[in-house]
Amino acid sequence: MSDIVKIRGLKSGLQLLIDKNSSFDAVKSAIEEKLVAGDKFFIRGTTVFVDKQIFNETQVEELRTLFRRHGMLFSLNLPKVNQQVSRVQENSVSKVEKEPAKPTVVVNKTLRGGQEVRTESSVLVFGNVNPGAQIIAGGSIDVRGSCRGTVHAGAFGDQTACIVADKLRPIQIRIADLIARPPDNMKKAVQAERASIKNGYIVFEPILR
Amino acid sequence: MCEIITITSGKGGVGKTTTTANIGVGLAMRGNRVALIDTDTGLRNLDLLLGLENRIMYDLVDVTSGRVPYKKALVRHKRFDSLYLLPTSQIRDKSAVNPEQLVQLCNEMKSDFEFIIIDCPAGIEQGFKTAIAAADCAIVVTMPEIAAVRDADKIIGELGRADKENIKLIVNRIRAQMVEKGDMLDMADINEILSIECIGQVPDDEFVVTSTNKGEPAITMKDSLAGQAYKNIVGRICGESIPFLKPPKEGFFTRLKRLFGML
Repeated sequence: MSDIVKIRGLKSGLQLLIDKNSSFDAVKSAIEEKLVAGDKFFIRGTTVFVDKQIFNETQVEELRTLFRRHGMLFSLNLPKVNQQVSRVQENSVSKVEKEPAKPTVVVNKTLRGGQEVRTESSVLVFGNVNPGAQIIAGGSIDVRGSCRGTVHAGAFGDQTACIVADKLRPIQIRIADLIARPPDNMKKAVQAERASIKNGYIVFEPILR
Repeated sequence: MCEIITITSGKGGVGKTTTTANIGVGLAMRGNRVALIDTDTGLRNLDLLLGLENRIMYDLVDVTSGRVPYKKALVRHKRFDSLYLLPTSQIRDKSAVNPEQLVQLCNEMKSDFEFIIIDCPAGIEQGFKTAIAAADCAIVVTMPEIAAVRDADKIIGELGRADKENIKLIVNRIRAQMVEKGDMLDMADINEILSIECIGQVPDDEFVVTSTNKGEPAITMKDSLAGQAYKNIVGRICGESIPFLKPPKEGFFTRLKRLFGML
């Protein structure tokens, strides 16, 4: 059973190597079995790559929903070669810009500890993001309130993403592949701030709004 | 008209059971018919705080499993005739009662009482889910301390997920002097994070410890500041608008004594 689907680790996710001679149903049940078994490879948020040629469109859609249900992302675009990480990243950034913009996810409430928003698009929160809450967005994040949770903008490589909040005091802030945390004795926020990547660092700057 | 209130907190040791006992006694002192249900199966304490431990015959598990009708398991309070306790089992664990059973029990009890107050166990597992299943209103108890506030925040999120929108806050064990010096979270900090309606600010009070040991809730004691705060909370639950207690001013002599290291 397990020989139908093999898992290979990549730098940017997991690649599924699929035995071309088996039927789609067998492949699907093999994948599902691995997912349900809680294999330690399948961490939420991991991207799973599958070679383009193997499946037709409906099959791809079926697999996509299957992976999404288990909190994983699914892609047919295999990253070219592992060594050329920088080029791959460039490619993905330019690809993000070319794709039609996805609708922003709007959250009309306060995100409390333990709650999570995870999306490929940008996020707008009307409320606070409390400590212990998490936002992972492919685009930018705007919090109309105070932001004290963990926020990750440009989670799929978009280095131009930014994070804006009326009071920006996150536990941890991530943009694209950079992680930062505020200094231990940071002053209380007095005005809205914007965090973005400048010269390879995450920089906070005050803004008016 | 019966209101079912669940007292919860997430974190342990912030004063859920104390609050339940005091609010229950307070509502009964106003003449309401009140039932207190302890759902902290395996770690029951509410009977101790009310001084009713030695009168228990049957418990919640006996009732929900259909062994006895609930009226047989109710324990009447020794001083307040309209206050009843439905204790839980000390032997079984949280899995002994499920949410549907508690909802059904509350529906049966509704016609006999004006208030049913459910004391919730700590945590967010099955015991919590059982305790909130029947609630019309949830009161979240917290303390001015980041761990307790963080857990209260999580609990409010969980209550929201269970479609409980009527949520109130009680901040317990406030030490006025520490807040003044900035060593403790103040109400503004707590309100900013939790942003739900606060119906009580209870000062830290030694009376609470002695009254717990005696089995007589602080609300029955005239000199207790915490007791006064609980009386105000009961008033607010009954729909009155009562201003919050001001922290007592430190007198000149107390300050002088502190200056000379006598306190």
